[in-house]
Amino acid sequence: MATIVQIDPTQQLDPFKSVKKIPTHEFFTSGHRTCQGCESALVMKMMVKAAGPRTIVLGSTGCMYVANTTYYSTSWVVPWMHTQLGSSGSAALGAAAGLKAQMRKGKMKQEPINVIAFCGDGGGADMGLGAISATMTHPDYNLLILLYDNESYANTDIQLSGSTPWGANTTFSTPGSVKRIMHHRWKKNMAGLMAVGHPTCRYVATICMSYGLHGMNSIRKALTIGGPTFIHSLDPCPKGWDYDPIQSHELGELAVQCGIWPLYEVEDGKLRLTGRTQQIADGKIPRKPVRDYLLRQGRFAHFTNDDLDYFQSKIDQMWTKWLIPGVIPFEKDLAADNPPA
Amino acid sequence: MATLAPAVEEKKGGERTALITGSEAIAVACQLADVDVITAYPIRPYDTVMQYIAKLVSNGEMDCEYIVAEGEHSQFEIVKHASAVGARVFCGSSGVGWMYAMEALTVTPALRIPMVCMVGNRALDDPGAFGTEHNDALAVRDLGWMLTWVDSGQEALDSTLIAYRVAEDRRIFLPCAISCDGAFLTHSQSLLQIPSQEQVNEFLPRYNRADLLLHPDNPITVAPQANEDWVMEIRRQNYAAMERTYGVIKEAFADFERIFGRSYGNPFFEEYMTDDADVVLMGMGTLSTPVKVAIRQMRKAGKKVGFVRLRWFRPFAAEELAQCLSRFQAVGVIDRDYSFGSPHSGGVVAGEVRNALYPGAGKKPPVLGFICGLGGREVTIPDVEKITESVYQAAEGKRQPLTQWIGLRE
Amino acid sequence: MGKLYAVEIVYRGIFQKKLATNISRAIVLAAHLDGKPGISFGRYGDSPERNGIPAKNFAIVATDEQTLQEGMAKYEPKEVDITISVDDTLCKGVESWAWYGLQPINKLTKPGGTLIVTSMEPAEKLIEMAHNRETPYNLAIVKGSRSFSGLWVYKDDHTDVRVLGAIAKVMPELVSLDAMKKTILQEWKDPVKVASAEKSYNRVTKALVQPGQGNPETPYQFELPKWHEMGEGVAIPCIPVGKTVEDPVTHVLGGIRPDRNPTFKKFSTRTMRPVVNFETCIKCTLCWLQCPDTCFDVTPEGLYDANMEACCGCGVCEAVCPVDKCVTMVAETEFADNGSQWETWRKDSTGYLQWLNQKIESRPERSHGFRFKGQYQEQVGEMLQIAQES
Repeated sequence: MATIVQIDPTQQLDPFKSVKKIPTHEFFTSGHRTCQGCESALVMKMMVKAAGPRTIVLGSTGCMYVANTTYYSTSWVVPWMHTQLGSSGSAALGAAAGLKAQMRKGKMKQEPINVIAFCGDGGGADMGLGAISATMTHPDYNLLILLYDNESYANTDIQLSGSTPWGANTTFSTPGSVKRIMHHRWKKNMAGLMAVGHPTCRYVATICMSYGLHGMNSIRKALTIGGPTFIHSLDPCPKGWDYDPIQSHELGELAVQCGIWPLYEVEDGKLRLTGRTQQIADGKIPRKPVRDYLLRQGRFAHFTNDDLDYFQSKIDQMWTKWLIPGVIPFEKDLAADNPPA
Repeated sequence: MATLAPAVEEKKGGERTALITGSEAIAVACQLADVDVITAYPIRPYDTVMQYIAKLVSNGEMDCEYIVAEGEHSQFEIVKHASAVGARVFCGSSGVGWMYAMEALTVTPALRIPMVCMVGNRALDDPGAFGTEHNDALAVRDLGWMLTWVDSGQEALDSTLIAYRVAEDRRIFLPCAISCDGAFLTHSQSLLQIPSQEQVNEFLPRYNRADLLLHPDNPITVAPQANEDWVMEIRRQNYAAMERTYGVIKEAFADFERIFGRSYGNPFFEEYMTDDADVVLMGMGTLSTPVKVAIRQMRKAGKKVGFVRLRWFRPFAAEELAQCLSRFQAVGVIDRDYSFGSPHSGGVVAGEVRNALYPGAGKKPPVLGFICGLGGREVTIPDVEKITESVYQAAEGKRQPLTQWIGLRE
Repeated sequence: MGKLYAVEIVYRGIFQKKLATNISRAIVLAAHLDGKPGISFGRYGDSPERNGIPAKNFAIVATDEQTLQEGMAKYEPKEVDITISVDDTLCKGVESWAWYGLQPINKLTKPGGTLIVTSMEPAEKLIEMAHNRETPYNLAIVKGSRSFSGLWVYKDDHTDVRVLGAIAKVMPELVSLDAMKKTILQEWKDPVKVASAEKSYNRVTKALVQPGQGNPETPYQFELPKWHEMGEGVAIPCIPVGKTVEDPVTHVLGGIRPDRNPTFKKFSTRTMRPVVNFETCIKCTLCWLQCPDTCFDVTPEGLYDANMEACCGCGVCEAVCPVDKCVTMVAETEFADNGSQWETWRKDSTGYLQWLNQKIESRPERSHGFRFKGQYQEQVGEMLQIAQES
């Protein structure tokens, strides 16, 4: 009987054992035009460092397009192509399908080539959600969608996206004299949505490149497992979050340590908390109060104590009430809902 | 035996005759062209081609990645990227589906992606209507797409092979859309000649993305963000590529005739009974059938009417067409489209024809525009007679409205 | 024909966006009070701005509407009466885009025009930083440290009005002090800001820069290719992966120096740079790994040498370095060259360490935007004190 799903072999990318074992070659290099202290540029660098030279990268419109590449120049060492704002899912699917067909038909040398499409939170969690969702249901292609989330449309001048935190100041949600909190939507649970809604998606992970080794090894794992995979990275943004760029690395750490950005991976349906998040869940390190993180950023400078308390309560809820803390927002106290005898 | 397009008659060398629809003919052409990646999404009437291709794939008669997308925008973006990594691709849509893909359609020519696709021409919403109108495909007329209109299943099949040959020529690398009028062509069966694989292989070389291949062996950065220092030069390159299409199309048609033994004469437009014509009608697509029938009837009544069917809208063979039309006393252009608020509120083709005539030397016959057959309404013989009557009036120097709606209840 | 005046404000993207807008806007409003029409605009090509990447605002004023239109007919002015540099490190040059080259800060300044710089540095030092030219120009200094903030919280340390006061002094025919004071009061409703502007008017220092004075280097520039010389399909070759590094003393080859974008450098994006103590470095890799700009070359012995071509001065390397004073950010005004620190150290380690310690000691306090709530209030006090004393 013919196999219904025929998946090509992947590159076997073992985890980097330690920071000292990370190869020195760069595949995304200097001369991009991003902000001082841009963590998303760091994600690009680490993403292709983890993937290695036999990689094709497709970049949807956003900061990592507009800021990164200024025509007639580039910072990419590996082949890179622009894709439209909502097209990261389609770009990865198309490139992977094109390679697969040609290799099978003998039109191209057979070899595993990594296909990575990246998108920002606007491109991924807003406009491109449908295409990414569709791509995650195609079991036949080896590809990774990496969502770099700087929590706004940062390229176009910091407008709010579906991934912007509650209450944040953006050019579309400036605090005013009547409405202090103009943006009252809660951040979309994108990685959870991908994992729960797409059983064919082989691997979902959340990362933050302040924990670079962890992030790179997640990328290597995704590319090795094969099939459709998704990684969501939280990237502090000195421009949109309004902070001194020297704090970029520390703010990423704080997002994790305050429990706002839980690190986890779902591998073939098996969930595992990772990194600092695992340590917090195990009670090995305390979960820091969110104000340690929020008050370091100008975008929350208008917050009152009530706002801070509200934000904290939502994070507490995520950690204590969710069916799976940080991942699945259903509340687990269904038992209290006494059914009739 | 092929599950699709089974032979009614086998010929020597592997050619066969089959009774198939226009959509089926394009599916067979894709099979013969050994297309690598195909994306489908349902919308009537184009999607019949994808239904046929699905059968070819499930029966193992065609080896390709057949991907059902979640919308037309993705449909076109997927093949765009597949083409960038070197795969031969096919795609298509109709009406508002084509418009939903518009962003992907705009970037494809600039990226020099030789995508071939079928547009099953359909009226744009609202109201939702299935019948043919040409505004869908015409919406990309300024963007660097090659656009051709066919009027028979045979021409649909042949044009698909020619489209790959021209689009994938390294001198060109531009996308090409083959427009087929909904229902008239997509859904009706006729007896067609299907060429052999050997003939197709001789005519159509393998797609070679060459220096633009996106692959680790050819590291390139494609489409970085440009500022005002660059965009004009980039546009100028596409202008040059489109200028080259005239010559490459002619080459392809000459080779086509040599290998397949079928001739289309002038690749850019077909002339019907024009040799001694006083006046001519013009149009694109399947309205050619009622027009030709009407012309034969009118000729019996002594009216020397001819017909010029525009086959390639982009590139637009302006000089050749101006030369051709200068032989006649008046021209009536039948548009199955509209361009509200345009000069004289005429149809798109009428405007282009006037534009083509304007700078040329020699005689400039009056050009009347007729909006007809919108939303798939039948273009009737009396409609054509009415149009011809008005064109004759213009030829005699009598003032006629520049744009007339024909076949309208009024 | 009437008279046309143009002012450019060269500033650090995002960090000084509000500051630059305040200045160009107030120039136009003040000129209006003096009966002159004008426009204020940011260079569209700089948008969207990036933290630290040089950007420009312009104020164009004329004695009548028709003359103003002549100024507006240009995408941006080809020459200006006043160039304002609200960060003294920009005196080294401006590179806003790939292929733009390094443009001297005084490039658009008319012969005899004025370059106004906000700085704590003496005139001689600023003159040396700017490229020399064939015609004389004036240098005016508004004393003050770099005023940086971010998109949402503005550090209102009066730098804007102090520059405005200086403009009235430098070019009274453009705007009178009286009109400027009225405008400031209208815009900010704060008499203290009016007083700051007036103090600046009285205290701004001015020096004539003679032809030939300044940095003698020819700034690098690029010639844009013609349309048929460019690759098709909007495609360009990627960057090669890089080469090994040679030890200047032993000539041993090793490590790697990544190849870098040849047409966009970060020399002018940077306001500070890391200085590295190679002797206390424990080779933990963090500075190299966490650098978003891939600016560190890896040396044959596994040290990390910040390459000044690529460093944009964000300071993340200092933040992640676990060793005290191993990586230290020092203001860009302290450096005259962009050479390799590692090569200098390899050739003369004792001399290098002396140099390093002196740089670290002299480093002024740095602030590149919001760090915590309440921080600006503290800093504004210091700044106002400088304003009082200067």
